[in-house]
Amino acid sequence: MTKIAVLIFCAWALMPTANAGTESGKTHLITLKAGKLDSGQLAYQMVSHKIRDASGKLEDITNRYSTEPTIPGPAIVMTEGDQAEVTLEHGIKDSNEPVSIHVHGVHFKIDSDGTMKVFNHVADQAAFPGKPYTYKWTAAPGTAGTWPYHDHAFGNPMLGAEDKGLYGTLIVNPKGGKVMAMVDGQMKGVDIKDIKREFVLWMHETTFWGTEINHLANRQVPLWTNPTLGAREGELVRFHVIGIGTAFHTFHLHGHRWLQPGTTHLVDTVNIGPIVRESFVIKAGEGVGPGPWHYHCHVLQHMQSGMMGGFRVIE
Amino acid sequence: MSKVLKLTAAIVMANLGTPVCAAPASGDDLLLSVPGLMPSAMLEMSDEPGLWFKDPVDGDALVVIKPKQAAMIKMTDTNTEHTITSLLWPSGAQSFPIDQEKPSSASVTAEFDKPGLYVFTCKVHPYMFGAVVVDDPNTKGLDVGSELQLVTGAKVPASSDIAKRLLRTFFVATTPSLWRDYSKPKWEVSLPDIPLNIEGNTISLSALGMTMPNELEKPGTPGVGEVWVNTQFEKIDGKKKVGTATRINTGNWSVAGKFKGVKEDMNNPHNMWTDKQYQYIYQTQWFDKKLLTFDRASGETYSNVVVGESPSHVMTRPADDVLYVALNAGEQVLKMTPGKSPSALNSINTGPHTSPHGHFITDDGKYLITPNALAGSVSVVDLDSEQNTEIPTGGVIPIAVWGTMDGKRAYAANLLGTPPLLSSLTVIDVPGKKKLMDIDLAADYDPVTGKISGEAYGLLPIQTPVSPDGKYVVTANTLSASITIVDTASNKVIKSLPCEPGCHGAHFGMKKGGGYYAYVASKFANDLIVIDMDKLEVAGRILLSDPKDSGIQAYNGMGGQGILPLPLVEHGNLKETLKLSGTGQLSPEVEGWLNALTPEQKGI
Repeated sequence: MTKIAVLIFCAWALMPTANAGTESGKTHLITLKAGKLDSGQLAYQMVSHKIRDASGKLEDITNRYSTEPTIPGPAIVMTEGDQAEVTLEHGIKDSNEPVSIHVHGVHFKIDSDGTMKVFNHVADQAAFPGKPYTYKWTAAPGTAGTWPYHDHAFGNPMLGAEDKGLYGTLIVNPKGGKVMAMVDGQMKGVDIKDIKREFVLWMHETTFWGTEINHLANRQVPLWTNPTLGAREGELVRFHVIGIGTAFHTFHLHGHRWLQPGTTHLVDTVNIGPIVRESFVIKAGEGVGPGPWHYHCHVLQHMQSGMMGGFRVIE
Repeated sequence: MSKVLKLTAAIVMANLGTPVCAAPASGDDLLLSVPGLMPSAMLEMSDEPGLWFKDPVDGDALVVIKPKQAAMIKMTDTNTEHTITSLLWPSGAQSFPIDQEKPSSASVTAEFDKPGLYVFTCKVHPYMFGAVVVDDPNTKGLDVGSELQLVTGAKVPASSDIAKRLLRTFFVATTPSLWRDYSKPKWEVSLPDIPLNIEGNTISLSALGMTMPNELEKPGTPGVGEVWVNTQFEKIDGKKKVGTATRINTGNWSVAGKFKGVKEDMNNPHNMWTDKQYQYIYQTQWFDKKLLTFDRASGETYSNVVVGESPSHVMTRPADDVLYVALNAGEQVLKMTPGKSPSALNSINTGPHTSPHGHFITDDGKYLITPNALAGSVSVVDLDSEQNTEIPTGGVIPIAVWGTMDGKRAYAANLLGTPPLLSSLTVIDVPGKKKLMDIDLAADYDPVTGKISGEAYGLLPIQTPVSPDGKYVVTANTLSASITIVDTASNKVIKSLPCEPGCHGAHFGMKKGGGYYAYVASKFANDLIVIDMDKLEVAGRILLSDPKDSGIQAYNGMGGQGILPLPLVEHGNLKETLKLSGTGQLSPEVEGWLNALTPEQKGI
C-alpha cells in the first residue's frame, strides 16, 4: 500500500516534466477591456495581444482586432500547448460593479475562475475600475475546440452580464494542425493553415451576432447582427456557432453539410442551446456551386423573427 | 426623462457626430461579408411601470438616433410574451410599420431612415410605450416629423391635436413623476424646454405641459358593499414585480386595505372576479402567466397557479361558478374549477391569433363573448357546446366587451377604432352572432384642430360595461381621459365626463337606497371616479393611495385597472348569491350587503 502511494506521488511529482513535451512554449499576453457601447450594451474590446515564444521573442498581433468593443467580443485563437495570461480592464462607464472573464474548455486554477468570492469562496476574481484582474489559462492537450468566454460577475446578483453582450470566443486549434472535415466527398484532416475565413456566429434570443476572422487580410471584422457572410467558391471556411441566453436554437446552413465533430455523420442542422457550440469546416459551394446561400435558426418562431442571414458564395 | 433634459446639449453637439464604425483600413477586397445592422440604441422591454421599453443607458422610454442608424428592441425583464408593434411613425418611412404578428419573446433590429417620431407598443399590453426619435442633426430642434401615420392607417399632421395628445400621453405614461397624484393639491405636467421640429416649425416641448387642480370629493350617498380596484403599478416592499388589489369601503369611501401578494411576487394584477359566496378573489396577473386566488375577507393566499401567457380577465359562469380566464397572449379562454385552487378543465379556442382580452359571460350563462385584440374580431362562444363563432368586426385592437343583462347585445371597445373611425364601439347581436354597427365615440372631435363640438369625445376606449338596466354603456377612454356614456336606445354618445390620464377600468356597483354607481379607475392617477348613474354626473373622486402604509415604496394608489364592486350587479351572478342568503353559507358581512339592496337592485 505504501509502495503504491509512493508511486502515485512520484508520478504526480514528475508530471510537469512529463507535460513539458506537450507545451508549445508560447504564451499569449492579452489585455481585454470591458466597456459600454453607445446603445448601453456591454462588450469586450481587445487592447493588446502579444505572443511570447519559448525564446522570449514577442509577436504583437493586436492590429488583427477591431479597435472598438464588439459583440461578440474578440475571438482569441490559441493552439493546444499554449498558455495565456489574460488581463481584464474595467472600462464600463458610470459603474463600479465588478466585471470578469470566465472561460470554458481550457484549464485554469481556481483563482482564474472569473467568479466572485460569494460563489467561489476564494476571492473576487474580477476587474474593478482602475484595478485589472489577470487570468491564466492553459490550452492543455485535449482542449482543442471552440469555447465561449463571458462575464460571470457584473450586475445583480453578480452572476454576469453575458446577456448584455459580454461574451466572446476562444478557439483552440489542435496541436497536430489538422481538423477533420468532409471535403471533396472525403473525410479527411484539413490543414488549419488552409482555412481562409472563419465565421463566428453567436445565437442570442432571436438574433445572430457575428464576427469574421479573415486569414487573407489577417484581421477580425465585426459583422454585428444577422450578417451576410461571404466566401469564394472552393475556399475552405470554418464556422463556429455558439448559443447564449435562454433560448434553444437549431442552426441550419443551406446547400452545405458538414461532419459532426467526433463522428462520421453528415449534418446540415445542429441543436444549439445556451453555451453549446459547434465548429466545422466546409468547402464553400462544394457540390452545389456559388449562390446566395442562406443560414438561419430553424426554430420557426425565431426564423419568422428574422434570425437569419446570407452565405454568399461567389465564383 | 433624464434624456430629454440632456437633449438640448445633444442637439447642439449633434453636428460633431462621432463615427460609428471605423472603415476598414486595408484588405477590403479580401472581405466578402457584409456586416448586419449595429444597434446604436436599445429599448429593453420590462414589466416595470412606465418603463415598459427602457433605454439601458439612462432608463428612459425614448432613444434618439440619427438617420441611417439602427435600434434594437428586445424583451429583457418580462415574465410574459409581447409584440413589438409600430403605433405611429413618419409617413413614408422605409420598412415601416414594424409589427409582430403574434406575441413572442422575439427581438427587432431596424434601421431608421426618415427623421421623425416612431412610437412602439405591444398589441397585448397596448399602453407599453417606447419611442425612437430619428433626429437629423442638420435641422433645428428634435425632429418629430411632418406627417405621422397611425397603425390604423390614418395619417395626421404632426402639429394636429391628436398628434400632440399622443405625444403628451407618451411622456405622461412613461414618466411616473408626471402621473396625477391626488395626494398633492395640483397635477403639474411640466415638460422641459426642448425645441421640437414639427412640420418645419420649432416649438418647445414645454408647450405640451399643463396644470390642473386635484380635487377629491366623497360621494354624498354611500354605496353598498366594497369595491376592489387593481392598483396595478404600486411598488411594494419585498416584491420585484408591481401591483396590488386595493379594497375600498363604500360606506365611508376609504381604503380598507390592500392585497399585495408579497410572497407570490404578484405581477401586474389586472382584473378580478369572485365566487357566488364572495369568499375568494380570483386575480389575474397580466404581465405573467398566473392566476392568484386569495381570501376576500382575510387576504390569505390560497393558490397561485400557472394558466398561460398574459391572463387578462376572469369571470365565472353564474350557475356553476366555473372560471373562465382569458389568455391574452394566447388564443384561448381557460376553463377552470372554482375554489381555493383552480385547476384547468379545458381550454376554449377563440380562433387563430385572437389574443382575447376583456371577456363577458351573459347573465344566463349561455354565451361567452371575447374581444380579440390581435384578430380584429369578437368571438361568441356557446358555453354548453363550446362552439365558437368568430365575428370579424374591422375593429383595431378590440380590447373589452360587455353585454346587456338580457344577453341580446354586446358592445366591444376598439382601442384604435374601426377605420376610418378613430374611436369606436362595435355593437354585436349576441344570439344572432353578427355585427350590427359601430358607434363613433369621437364623432364630435376634430383630430386636427382639437375642437370638441358635442358630447361624443372618447379616444382609445377600454373597459365598457353596460348598466344593469341596459340603458347605458359607460366607457373609459384612455387617450382623451374622458368617460363616454352611450344611450343604448339611440347608440349615440349622450354624455362625456372628465376622467384621468390613462382612464382604463370601469364597472357598476350598488348605490345605497337604490340605483347604481359607475366606478372608473385610471392607470396614471390614484383616484377612483364615482359616477351617479341616476344623474349621469360625477358623484365623487376617492383616493386609492394609502399614505399610512409604509410598505408601499412608490406609485401609491397608481395603476388603476380592473374593478370589482361587490355585491355584483350582474343579475345572473347576483341571483346565485341571493339563493344562498339565509342558508348560513354567506358571511354576516355579505348578508348585510344583500339586505341593503332594493328589489330593483336584486333584479326582482
